[in-house]
Amino acid sequence: MKNEAVFINGKRKYIFCGDDQGLKLLSSVMEKVNEEGLTHERFLLSDFKMSLLEDFLKSQKMGTFLYVALPSSELQQFLKAVEDIGFSDEDVQYIGYGEEKFSVFCCRCHEINTSNNEQKRLYCHRCGLELEVSDHYSAMHDAFLGYVAKL
Amino acid sequence: MKWTADLEQFPYPFKGSTYRYSNNSIPMHKPISVEVTSDYKKEMLLKRNLLTYHPERCYQSLPHTMTGQWEIVELVIDHLAAHYPNQFSVEKRNTIWIFSNKILDDKIEFVFGDEKSLPCEPLAFISHHVQEDLILMMQRDGDLYLDAGQLCFPANWSLAFNLGMKFKSIHHPIPGFKEEGLDDRILQFLMRLEAGNPWERKNWSLMAGDRLDTSLETFDQWGQLRKQVTKENAGKLVHIRVEVQKLFRLPRTNSILFTIHTHLLPLEQLAANSEWLQQFYDILSELPSHIADYKGISLYKDAVLDYLEKQLERVRAT
Repeated sequence: MKNEAVFINGKRKYIFCGDDQGLKLLSSVMEKVNEEGLTHERFLLSDFKMSLLEDFLKSQKMGTFLYVALPSSELQQFLKAVEDIGFSDEDVQYIGYGEEKFSVFCCRCHEINTSNNEQKRLYCHRCGLELEVSDHYSAMHDAFLGYVAKL
Repeated sequence: MKWTADLEQFPYPFKGSTYRYSNNSIPMHKPISVEVTSDYKKEMLLKRNLLTYHPERCYQSLPHTMTGQWEIVELVIDHLAAHYPNQFSVEKRNTIWIFSNKILDDKIEFVFGDEKSLPCEPLAFISHHVQEDLILMMQRDGDLYLDAGQLCFPANWSLAFNLGMKFKSIHHPIPGFKEEGLDDRILQFLMRLEAGNPWERKNWSLMAGDRLDTSLETFDQWGQLRKQVTKENAGKLVHIRVEVQKLFRLPRTNSILFTIHTHLLPLEQLAANSEWLQQFYDILSELPSHIADYKGISLYKDAVLDYLEKQLERVRAT
């Protein structure tokens, strides 16, 4: 996940999807794509259009590059859906805004806790251990490892 | 767990007077994936208890690993039967195998390749018969993934967290590993491993206490001993922990079996060999702080150095 969209050259087609605020964050890349006359589509996201978006993405051809810009707290649900449709990590850029929440794996009991950017330490809500959030990330758990904060 | 065998048998890990992270793998002289030591019974009892009562932290696997798991069963059983014929045997009647572990008085009949003929997954089954931890790394998309493993004696890491992780992500917490390009070099080395040409290496750390099962999940318990090390008790309390790691390419699945045999030696026994004592003192004195931190030594490193200095004085005086 990035804070800013980056233009990736040489793609067959570009898709920009997000809510109103998200599409604003993609505007500079959209301008670049417009200037160069590259094939692209915009998709304004709202809750009732999720199934439509999935159908739309499934119909895309190989070589399509996808930008998704949404509140950070909502991005996670899109990651799995987009991956299941067949987009690889190299084909997508996720841009998050607003408060970012992420998961923390308790090293003692394996519970997944929720934290935000400001919290470097938290108590596991299952076993009560004080955890220090590390930058060791597991894609399978979609969580950062929380170590014993103090002996 | 104390070292009970002859000191000469201890897999002493050092060369030279300094230590840095490196790919110190060497081709294996005797291509055997597992080793049976004098501590076999004691360690198997501990392992079986851990596997029974703490399965989530000691055993993890992904569904696509079954063929690789059977390859491990075949390799390990064949090695046990060939190298320790008085303790282990296997009778193969087509796909029906009868494996005997005479040390533990176990006899297991199963259909090779049929998970239903075993009470647990194949990797879990063979884990009940070897002192080593067994990790299966599967190769795809130009990378290696930790897709199954049995880990009872980890050096402070979590199998449950690392499951499914790519090689470089697994080693992400090691300071300098990525920055020096070592993660990429070792990954390339591993991906070039060939079936029939196994390699081995030794890894080491220090620990306060003599537990083999130093999982990340229980660090809040066993880590407490780090605060109790003094120059007076370091000889008995602090142990050098050596992992003999072996790497075998499995030809059918093109995956890699990574076996880890952990050995502990109290510093007072290490200090009984004057060459080792001097060499280890030199290495620890010079060890960069980022390596000492990662290996969990920093809190009591000075106490250990004081202890080693005293032992060196004793040697010089005799």
